[in-house]
Amino acid sequence: MTNKEKYKQAFSAMHSPCEMTLEVEKMAILSKKAKIRTTAAAIITICLLITGGSGVVYAADVGGIQRTIQLWIEGDRTDVTFEYHESGTYDMSYETKDGETEELHGGGVAIEEDGTERPLTEEELLEELSWPDVIYEEDGTVWVYYYDQKMEITDQFEDGVCYVKVSNGEETLYMTVLYQDGWCTSPHKYVPAEALR
Amino acid sequence: MRQSVQELFEKYQDNLYIIAFNVCKNAEDAKDVVQDTFIQYYSAKKEFDDEQHIRAWLIRVAINKAKNMNNTFWRRNKMSLEDYMETLAFETPASEELFETVMHLPEKYRIVIHLFYYEDYTVHEIADILKLSESNVKVRLSRGRSLLKEKLQEEWEDDE
Repeated sequence: MTNKEKYKQAFSAMHSPCEMTLEVEKMAILSKKAKIRTTAAAIITICLLITGGSGVVYAADVGGIQRTIQLWIEGDRTDVTFEYHESGTYDMSYETKDGETEELHGGGVAIEEDGTERPLTEEELLEELSWPDVIYEEDGTVWVYYYDQKMEITDQFEDGVCYVKVSNGEETLYMTVLYQDGWCTSPHKYVPAEALR
Repeated sequence: MRQSVQELFEKYQDNLYIIAFNVCKNAEDAKDVVQDTFIQYYSAKKEFDDEQHIRAWLIRVAINKAKNMNNTFWRRNKMSLEDYMETLAFETPASEELFETVMHLPEKYRIVIHLFYYEDYTVHEIADILKLSESNVKVRLSRGRSLLKEKLQEEWEDDE
């Protein structure tokens, strides 16, 4: 045998772990979802700025199904009236600690691999609303909310990127936050900022 | 040109895993390196000339990521090389000895030896992948071979 043949025989004993195929596929999907989340989060934020706290009753409109769900909002478990529309938008309202009705409207689109866009489904929107949230306060501080947790990340940005880990006790999520430019999460590892830009 | 991640994964996952392990000597880190390499390919907008160009790029990225892994302060608990080798089914005791001897070479010789003997790259191609001069690659290859010969004696031919 030549040295090359001996060498190849020796190293042919090694194989990559079987479970890796699935994980790479998952990561590819997560990479795609990262785009969904960035887009959806941006749209939701814009809608909050326009209509948040307006007090206008909005629910009785164009044929969505209204129901009550529970969401973690800024650290509190809150009953929310939620209505989904096929356009990928939602209306929701809830009572604040002060007893006032807060109305929020949002929506999102998913960007498919071929670049086409489609409205988010109700399931995707609800999943979106259960994910951690990033809030930019007027005083310049930046906070991550996830379930009952509140974490300040203002000083953790480097070159406009902050990597932060959050957990609800059962699941740990790795967040990549681009300063005022969206964020994404992965249950496996931090998604590189380059993948979101 | 571009090829799908799945297609490349099927073809090169073992090669990249072995290369990554060759550098970082840790199965879990090697697994992460392979995944990160394919994610980087997936995320990159880079166009390639042909499949050999893609292969060389994947190998270069995997080696760099594995080196980065070695340089990070935090390392996960890793299985010893001896314990890991017990999980492998070597065809002959000589194969096992060769594997172990290679893995005990200094990293800079190990990578060059592997690219030459396993990936069949020429000195010129190895220099291009590792961004080294050809003479530097030749020196590393020669020293690596000498160390292998010294340890393996008649099990390793003089092929310089």
